[in-house]
Amino acid sequence: MFATKRLSKELLKIKEHLPPGISIVKSDNLEEWLMDIKVLDENPLYLNETYRLKFTFSNKYPIEPPEVQFVTTPAAADENNATATTHPRRTIPIHPHIYSNGIICLDLLSSAGWSPVQTVESVCMSIQSMLTANSRNERPPGDKDFVSYNRRRPRDINFMYDDDNV
Amino acid sequence: MTNITLEDLLVMEANCDRDESVDLRSLDYVSSYDDHLMCPICHCPFIHPVRLKCDHVFCQKCLVSAITTFAASRDDFTCPACRTPTGGVYLKLPRLLVNMCDEIRVRCPFRSEGCEEVAPRVFIQTHVDKYCGYRPMDCPLGSCGLKTRKKDLDPEGRCLHELHQCARCEGNIMEQDYKEHVDELCPNLQTTCPDCHTTILRRELKQHADSCPESIHSCAASKYGCRIQLKRADLATHEQTCPLISMGPYFDAQNARLDSLELTVRHLKQRNEIFDDALANIRTTLAQSPTASAGPDDRATTSTPPRRNNNDLTSPNSQSQIDSSNQYTATTTNYLLSLHESLREEVGQLSHAITDLDARASMAIMSECLRIKEDMAHTNAAVSSIRMQVQWLLNPRLHQHQSSQRTGGVRTGTTPGGHTPTAAAGPSTSAIPLRPRRLSDSGREGTKL
Repeated sequence: MFATKRLSKELLKIKEHLPPGISIVKSDNLEEWLMDIKVLDENPLYLNETYRLKFTFSNKYPIEPPEVQFVTTPAAADENNATATTHPRRTIPIHPHIYSNGIICLDLLSSAGWSPVQTVESVCMSIQSMLTANSRNERPPGDKDFVSYNRRRPRDINFMYDDDNV
Repeated sequence: MTNITLEDLLVMEANCDRDESVDLRSLDYVSSYDDHLMCPICHCPFIHPVRLKCDHVFCQKCLVSAITTFAASRDDFTCPACRTPTGGVYLKLPRLLVNMCDEIRVRCPFRSEGCEEVAPRVFIQTHVDKYCGYRPMDCPLGSCGLKTRKKDLDPEGRCLHELHQCARCEGNIMEQDYKEHVDELCPNLQTTCPDCHTTILRRELKQHADSCPESIHSCAASKYGCRIQLKRADLATHEQTCPLISMGPYFDAQNARLDSLELTVRHLKQRNEIFDDALANIRTTLAQSPTASAGPDDRATTSTPPRRNNNDLTSPNSQSQIDSSNQYTATTTNYLLSLHESLREEVGQLSHAITDLDARASMAIMSECLRIKEDMAHTNAAVSSIRMQVQWLLNPRLHQHQSSQRTGGVRTGTTPGGHTPTAAAGPSTSAIPLRPRRLSDSGREGTKL
């Protein structure tokens, strides 16, 4: 109940105005939203690319953090054919803290680093700046193992947040 | 300002049961409010705001839920906005802030039931409690379980949810809606037609309007100018006699003809335009060839293009070739002419500039000459005055010399060692050859002045 009220208020605001490079793709229910983000500067790793984020909200949002991960469009095509055909394919951006299955290692999204004053907009902007600041063309160490063995949801994974640079 | 610990705040929140049936967070906010009046956690205007040490303000309820979810121990809790460790909570906030939040206007939560009330948020609870007639109330009959709008409640406390059968439409209607149904909504209700004043059933009103004999319609020939408007019954008789109706088919035929004629005219116009264009092209070709043949008179045209034109005219094998060659020569001629014109202009400008310069230079020379002439005159004057002085100075010497010559002429002849007279005469004899040089010297000094 709390979550839906807060989310409908956020949605109203987002539809009015969004910062550059962020756009809303799907928000027809108050449980799962899709957002598109672009890296705006000249970073050659992400030049001319648009990435899709999936937000999953629990009913305790914003007290609890939402689950945020990158998704590829062919996966989302079954539920949203129109966007899949009219837009180019979405991929997972290469980044030392983003696994190739789209899971993001960012303390902001953990229950320890989360704060209820964060919004969908502020999370998008944080991820945007995380991509902008990166210059390493690599996946996190152990990406292959993690991707093939992980069956847990992002919220159940205990990440170590050790890198303050990105 | 009272500062209480987080623990106290939690206890207070747990014990406090405010009598609030209205959820202020789910209200429909009519007036727009400033983002600064919005709790960053629930995004609503502050409801019972509290303040942390770091000056961030939250709703009391939002802060409590944040504290209970996050902090392992109460001391670890940090401000959700800035992550400053918080020691305590201030319960009192500036009245200004509270008032600004309170006066934001909201809709009555029972708008869906029909209440149109819009009131400042602080009064909406009172409105719902006391005044709102649309608030659903529990049925006085406990076993019923249904709700009734407050204004519809039976004063004697009867249950209004019993079904009654409508005598007209045979539908089952609850007692609370019965009156409205009978008065306004029942499809079998009898109403009167506004035109013919006959009594008909409500559900048939629509069909009746299409066939009502009393309703006013205009004549079928109204598009041809018949202005008569009559009741449907009389209209039939009118239409039998209306001259315009009988003319109708003829008018239609005429209209169709006019339309087709207009279409043809439009086609012809287009064709005409095309021909006009072609004619104009031919005319310009013809007009250009005589001027081109008279080309050699023109300074800018070269002699070759006109000759080619003449050839084409004498043997007109293809029209387009003439056109293109003519256009080509015309454009080159024009280009050359314009080039020529611009060059001529430039030359004119240059000659102007030259005469200008000439005049200026001669003026400068003239003035210089005048100055030099003046100087010369000065110098001449100075020279002549010096000459006068020298002569005046020399005069006694000459006299003396002459007299000594007269006397010394004897002496020199006698004594060769006559030193003194020669020495005395030295300057006088040297003064004579020196004279021209001094003149030039003084003249030079004069020009320097």
